[in-house]
Amino acid sequence: MESSDEAAIEKHRVHLRPVTLRDAAPAALHLLPCEVLASQSAPVGRFFTPAIRQSPDGLQVSFRGRSLRGEEVAVPPGLVGYVMENEEKLIGKQDFSGGLENHNQEEERKPVEPSEPLERDFDRFIGATASFSHFTLWGLETIPGPDAKVRGALTWPSLAAAIHAQVPED
Amino acid sequence: MDGGDAVRARQLVFLLPEYLKDASKKMKRGLMFVKLVNPCSGEGAIYLFDVRLQQLFEIKVFKEKHHSWFINQSVESGGLLHFATPMDPLFLLLHYLVKADKEGKFQPLDQVVVDDVFPNCILLLKLPELEKLLHHVTEEKEIDNKKYYKYSKEKTLKWLEKKVKQTVAALKTNNVNVSARVQSTAFFSGDQVSRDKEEDYIHYAHGLISDYIPKELSDDLSKYLKLPEPPASLPSPPSKMAAQRRKRDK
Repeated sequence: MESSDEAAIEKHRVHLRPVTLRDAAPAALHLLPCEVLASQSAPVGRFFTPAIRQSPDGLQVSFRGRSLRGEEVAVPPGLVGYVMENEEKLIGKQDFSGGLENHNQEEERKPVEPSEPLERDFDRFIGATASFSHFTLWGLETIPGPDAKVRGALTWPSLAAAIHAQVPED
Repeated sequence: MDGGDAVRARQLVFLLPEYLKDASKKMKRGLMFVKLVNPCSGEGAIYLFDVRLQQLFEIKVFKEKHHSWFINQSVESGGLLHFATPMDPLFLLLHYLVKADKEGKFQPLDQVVVDDVFPNCILLLKLPELEKLLHHVTEEKEIDNKKYYKYSKEKTLKWLEKKVKQTVAALKTNNVNVSARVQSTAFFSGDQVSRDKEEDYIHYAHGLISDYIPKELSDDLSKYLKLPEPPASLPSPPSKMAAQRRKRDK
């Protein structure tokens, strides 16, 4: 079993449900300048959000007794922010129960590979749970400057567009 | 639920091109993350493939120490930001063409793009206008209505030079600081500044493109562009600084 599992990891596809991209409700995101080791629910609306103040040098809040300064950062034009979550394998199986090719009640668009169905038993599913067009970027004591790495990363899509654009023929 | 009501599924923060949302109207499926080869390192990398648009997207991850997300009423460790940007599939096809070239003969594409490790590479064969793309980097023959291809280094270098040129243009419009020397040389004669600067842009663009081609080809491209040895003061491209990817030397 082990070896076939390994093969499945290389073969598997994680399907992103397109419908979730349309239905995702707006979310409030904050990028903190510290590592919180756990990933779990947190009463952000009880402790963090109500403490945010507008000051002359940006937004101001404190977290664990340290002073943070922040500002709204927009998602680059032409892009949308999404929060995605893996779906339990069971849910995927329910939705796509029965044969993958023939017994699907939903109208199947032209399959990409007739000999191999688009979705297979061992595939996984992911869906967008929320969307955003901006987030709040926080720095310790000061707002992250123009050289902050995250700001550099946000210029990447425009450079990537040039690198990957088709070149003209001679 | 396993009782731990505070525990929740891993959340991924993504930036996607807006048109994926529109293209997904009436579409129930057809967007998928697949593991394909990284054409530079030969290792695995995650890509997003749109079956409807027949388009490939590269996934890069912004990762910096000491960051976390607050997402609505939850905290997500790590502070990762994933980018999905359109990828020229020719870089991936090139990986297979260069590999197949060792046999030194014309071959049909479905015998070139084969991969036991990354079987999803067959998706590449479905891309539209494949022949037009391949024209940039291969010699081709047609026998009995079947196309046969062979990697051409000369054509590939020409194609890559065009890539470098259009990347230089984008670096300029985005005002990317390509050299620490830009400010200091600004004190001296204008001529010298602009010449130095142009060279730095080409260098920087070459570095960006080199992330998508094998090392050997990157070296050939450097010679082809007549680039001198890199000065030590050059900052690394933003993709290397900001969006870290599986390191090739790992």
